[in-house]
Amino acid sequence: MAQADIGTETAIPRRTERDVLQELTVEQQALLKRVLEIERAKLHLKAADLTDDLLGAVKAILP
Amino acid sequence: MRINSITLTNFRQFSGMQTFELESPTSKPVTLIFGANGAGKTTLLNAFTWALYGDMSEDVEEQHRMVTDVVWRALPTGDSVELAVELTFDHEGHNYRLRRSAQVRKQSDEQEKPSADMRLWQTMGDGSSEEIGAPQESIYNILPKRVSRFFFFNGERIEKLVQKGAYAEVQQDIKVLLDLEQVERALEHLPKVDRRLTADIKKHGGERASGIQTTIDELLDREADSRDELKVLEVDLATLNGEREGVTELLRQHASAAPIQKERDRVADELTDAKTQRTAAITERASLVATRGFLAFTDELATRTAEKAAALYQKGALPAPLKREFVDQLLEEGKCICGTSLISDSPAWHSVTDWRQRAGLQMVETAWQQLSGQITQLHSVRQELHESLQAVVKRITAERERVSRLEETMSELDGQLNDPGKEDVQQLESKRLDLEARIGTKRERIGALRGAVEQTHREIEQKTAERSKAEVTDELATKARARSDLVQAVRGALEEILAIRKEDMRNRLDAKLKDVFGRITIKPYIPRLSPDFELALYQDVNGIELPVAKSTGENQILSMSFVAAVSELAREIRADRQADGELPADAGMYPIVMDAAFGSLDQNYQREVSRVLAQMAPQLVVLVSKSQGLGQVVGELKHYVSHLGVIVTHTTSKSDATEDIELDGVAYPYIRPSADADYAELRGIK
Repeated sequence: MAQADIGTETAIPRRTERDVLQELTVEQQALLKRVLEIERAKLHLKAADLTDDLLGAVKAILP
Repeated sequence: MRINSITLTNFRQFSGMQTFELESPTSKPVTLIFGANGAGKTTLLNAFTWALYGDMSEDVEEQHRMVTDVVWRALPTGDSVELAVELTFDHEGHNYRLRRSAQVRKQSDEQEKPSADMRLWQTMGDGSSEEIGAPQESIYNILPKRVSRFFFFNGERIEKLVQKGAYAEVQQDIKVLLDLEQVERALEHLPKVDRRLTADIKKHGGERASGIQTTIDELLDREADSRDELKVLEVDLATLNGEREGVTELLRQHASAAPIQKERDRVADELTDAKTQRTAAITERASLVATRGFLAFTDELATRTAEKAAALYQKGALPAPLKREFVDQLLEEGKCICGTSLISDSPAWHSVTDWRQRAGLQMVETAWQQLSGQITQLHSVRQELHESLQAVVKRITAERERVSRLEETMSELDGQLNDPGKEDVQQLESKRLDLEARIGTKRERIGALRGAVEQTHREIEQKTAERSKAEVTDELATKARARSDLVQAVRGALEEILAIRKEDMRNRLDAKLKDVFGRITIKPYIPRLSPDFELALYQDVNGIELPVAKSTGENQILSMSFVAAVSELAREIRADRQADGELPADAGMYPIVMDAAFGSLDQNYQREVSRVLAQMAPQLVVLVSKSQGLGQVVGELKHYVSHLGVIVTHTTSKSDATEDIELDGVAYPYIRPSADADYAELRGIK
């Protein structure tokens, strides 16, 4: 997903989120999206240990 | 999140069950609720947060008295009464009903803080309702408690949001709204996942791969330690910066007090002079009275003496050196006082006879002249005394008035200077220098750590590349390596995304804040959000940007602008996601519920703030008193209002408490006398 480049102060075009995502493989993109979903769902739990959830996501993408 | 209704049951002063509809279209997002002081506006605001999070703001007193007093008093001991707040709302395409309630049992006249249960239902597409198992967690997911303060707030206290030292907390809170927090947390958690995966490489990967993995693990540990230390240092730095700002502000106050102090010194000198002059005049008057005061009583004496002397003069009886009768006696006796015989026509007789003429005329005349001259002088000297006394009394009066006036001025100036928060300037300056030094040390350490983290990061990448090339024959280890590579790639991408988002969010928030603030304020101030999300106001003075010492009102405007900007940006960010098909239509939308909405703002600012909030907030509930809400606010908001309401105060006050509120030419009850109970009634009028 791209976000507007507001406030760029240099002449060199800044990289966007879309640039970063496009450079990822399909598996990497899938994991990134899943990781953020898991984190967002438990955002309110400061002490949550999400290692198992995230590990499960990795194994689901690379069985 | 859009709130559709709120229902209160015996909640604080709202007795019985009372519902208020809040559902509003986007074109008319405003609900305006009026209430007198103490009517229950703050209670209503807290009813929302109590329902959502189970607690109320610190400014609510007697928090244990949750059940309406009149209901509690009427309840027989041993019986129970229901206490509840229910909210219905929509969020991201779903409809919810939230109810926090308690059955409160009366054991004595004193209430104890009740333990309330929370339940949450979601309405399904077919109209059926399904209870959600973890209601509080779901609410935290919908609107995290920490960020709720941007949406449910008291206008009079909102300035704390942008006060010095608050930005570290604000920065942390808005990360959630701006989608930064989940990225940061993913970056914290992924190394743990990687460690679990790479355990298999160490175990089964063969000598070379296992060795490389051990090095990577060590590097990762070092990186994690550095990052932990960085976090602590950044918090310390924010605290120190806050302290330095506080000290600088005090020093600024001292600088602003300097002209007052100078004026006070001048007044003190003049006061000393006035007191000296007054004392001198009083002394002079005393001296006049002591030395010449008797003259005041000589008026009658002089008159009487003159009359008496005139009579004596007439009789020739005035005392003189030689009297005629004495000479006559000598001539009659025929003998002078020297013994010479005074024979008629003799030279001695003629000589004495000559004396008779002189004594009778010249000497008496001279005595008379002397006496009457003294009497006349006495009068003018008395007149002179009178005039001197008048002049000195006038001076005393003038100096007394001057002393009195200067003492008043002095008190006024002392009042301006007498701030207990003001420490000694030198002490403050040395504190500021100490803070500067500590900030410098922290910055150096932060810089060094960042460099170390980057270096470690490069080494990890290098070792990870080496690991990819290392020969691994074991299937488990091969799979673990592929998974670890995947995690590392995602972690690298997330780091870059976080940096991009942070910069992007700050720039967008800064631009939005400038826009909103500019639409409200009449002053040439420019707000700026620093890279650390510190909010400051600047003024362009002849091409130089100087920081502005903000007043309470300006802080309130800045805070409102900030809230409006954050609210709109959160919505825009979700709208971006929505375009990508990730999120539903109302994602990122949150209602704003404001008590004492306009704090201490002037009328013109109330109008501008009303307009901006009405245009920017997807849903706005404004709780105001008559004095704040009528006029500019109603005028500005009326085009955006869906619901109007009044919290009617029912009071047992003996005075005639009846008061109405007039809206659109119709009078509605505002305060009503009550025979036996004090309570609040939430009444919808539109």
